[in-house]
Amino acid sequence: MPMKYDLVIIGAGPAGMGAAIIAASHGASVALVDENPVPGGKLRGQVYKEPKANWWIGQEIARNMEKEIKQLGVTCFLEREVWAIYPKWKIMLNNGEQLESDYVVLATGAIEKPIPIPGWTTPGVMAIGAAQVMANIHRVKPGNRVAIIGIDALSLTIAYDLKMAGVDVVGIYLPPFNEFSLDKSNPLKMIAYLSSLSHLAPNPILKLLGKLGKQASVQKLGVNYYPPFGMRVWGIPLHLRKAVVQILGDELVEAIKVTTIDRSGELETKQEKRIPVDCVCISGGLYPLVELANVAGCAFVYVEDLGGHIPLYSDEMETTQSGIFVAGNSTGVEGAKVAMAQGELVGAIISNRLGLLKHGTELIKQAKEKVNVARKNAVIKFHPTIESGREKVLHLWNEKAVK
Amino acid sequence: MIQNMLICRCEEVLLADIVASIENGAGTLKAIKMETRAGMGICQGRTCRMLLEQVMDFHTDINVQEANNLSYNNPVRPISLANLSRSGKDSEP
Amino acid sequence: MRINKHPILGKLDRKEICITYNGSDYQAYEGETIAAALLANHIRVLRYSEKGKKPRGIYCGIGHCYECRVTVDDERSVRACVTVVQDKMKIRSQGMYANEI
Ligand SMILES: Cc1cc2nc3c(=O)[nH]c(=O)nc-3n(C[C@H](O)[C@H](O)[C@H](O)COP(=O)(O)OP(=O)(O)OC[C@H]3O[C@@H](n4cnc5c(N)ncnc54)[C@H](O)[C@@H]3O)c2cc1C
Ligand code: FES
Repeated sequence: MPMKYDLVIIGAGPAGMGAAIIAASHGASVALVDENPVPGGKLRGQVYKEPKANWWIGQEIARNMEKEIKQLGVTCFLEREVWAIYPKWKIMLNNGEQLESDYVVLATGAIEKPIPIPGWTTPGVMAIGAAQVMANIHRVKPGNRVAIIGIDALSLTIAYDLKMAGVDVVGIYLPPFNEFSLDKSNPLKMIAYLSSLSHLAPNPILKLLGKLGKQASVQKLGVNYYPPFGMRVWGIPLHLRKAVVQILGDELVEAIKVTTIDRSGELETKQEKRIPVDCVCISGGLYPLVELANVAGCAFVYVEDLGGHIPLYSDEMETTQSGIFVAGNSTGVEGAKVAMAQGELVGAIISNRLGLLKHGTELIKQAKEKVNVARKNAVIKFHPTIESGREKVLHLWNEKAVK
Repeated sequence: MIQNMLICRCEEVLLADIVASIENGAGTLKAIKMETRAGMGICQGRTCRMLLEQVMDFHTDINVQEANNLSYNNPVRPISLANLSRSGKDSEP
Repeated sequence: MRINKHPILGKLDRKEICITYNGSDYQAYEGETIAAALLANHIRVLRYSEKGKKPRGIYCGIGHCYECRVTVDDERSVRACVTVVQDKMKIRSQGMYANEI
């Protein structure tokens, strides 16, 4: 027999757990499914200092949320993959179990986009997120000498994580230009991008770049005068004029081949250098993991500011399939605090639909406000234009409603 | 050398194979997948789906994003045949 | 490879257990994944690819890419990066031998 619940949540990251806690605390019977043995999602790997506040230690926050979930009697289905959702709504788990509910929350998070580089399948090459999991969750160094390819909020954050873990990070490099790296291989574009991260900038020169770098002329100067040996960020060389063109080694990673990029953006192949490393981390950015929304029949929209294809959702976070809600990074890539607040909002909305709330409208309003505040104060912004992306979605939803 | 780079890690499909399939007329993600098997392996395209879109974007005039090629199929995760057959019936509690 | 002391996360204090990989014994910590335990023992090659017989190790680290498939006890194609080690667990790499099923 399928097991029936008021609400089934797929994904036990900060969004899924946030939704579970709120709905269960209002008396809903909740099932929470995740393929990992421990709840927490990507939250568990996060360790960073918040400006004017304490360290954000994801593992501790996840552990506290897990305790709360258990106290509230949420049923956890861990180490189970959801492989399909059938109307209306049956959730299929890979060990043969079946859950049933009128309300489903898809909180499946985001996934990394790779940048293929010759040699990227050699053991020792990994996605940047894997390095974070190894160092921060399992406390194992991904390598002793690590090169990072790709400059973005995540790779800078994790470079710092590795540094704290005592790893020798030999440098952060650009990928070479190819079908997959596109703007990420362009020094000029990267300076512009770094300027949008200046709130994160750990280094006075970067901060200055951040202030000046919004003007195109200065960006160009920045590239021209960017030191060929890189600029140090927390002691790690950040290279805007060097690309890793190949990863060397047969059984294991042995070295990277690095080429200088000249002022016009071309590779100076004569300037190739071999740098020994035992691990290479590739950072190509994140995009929402939305496969389940797709098989459930939800309508999709493409919104660049949110990371790509996302299920169209209303201001109540409901998709075009009634009863299927979304929360967290599967609606657009943002930090954990926003994901958690989105989860709580969905938890409140569904509790209200279930008739469990006395002051529903008020509670939902507060929960919405919490999402906005979290977004405004976010330390890590994966997409500088996230707010306009969110507005775009609501606009598209309203347009659809009019039709 | 770049063309010899693997794109689909599961089915071991090279960039060169994908570009060749496009040159031979594969005009949709589905056609590329059918011809090269890229994206049809055990991870079900979770690693290379985006890359296939990018190869198409780069080598054709088709705007893959707008073409909205999202087409995931059940099962979205690899499951055993035993489970798939059992899913028709009710599972044990 | 272990990060025993960490400026923010503190000291590592976990219970030791024993796993075997391709017939040899290795130390692991309770609660960690197979991938983490093997990496801590300097093991990166988890399998050889079906067609090209090329070595592969972890890639995504979070269960998405299926590159880290190993055989655990007698179950094939278990993802090493999302499967927790158990004491006396027998792990084998895949794709090494021609006579594998
Ligand atoms: C590699 C990586 C590193 C990141 N690092 C940071 C960082 O340092 N700081 C920061 O602020 N943000 C970081 N982020 C962003 C991060 O996604 C958010 O901070 C936050 O964790 C998102 O929460 P979520 O609940 O939406 O998703 P997640 O935390 O990703 O949780 C989703 C959960 O759903 C599970 N799941 C997905 N599909 C299925 C299925 N079919 N069956 C069963 N379970 C499934 C996943 O395994 C996962 O446990 C990172 C993201 C990634 C991908
Ligand atoms: S490393 Fe990707 S699934 Fe394990």
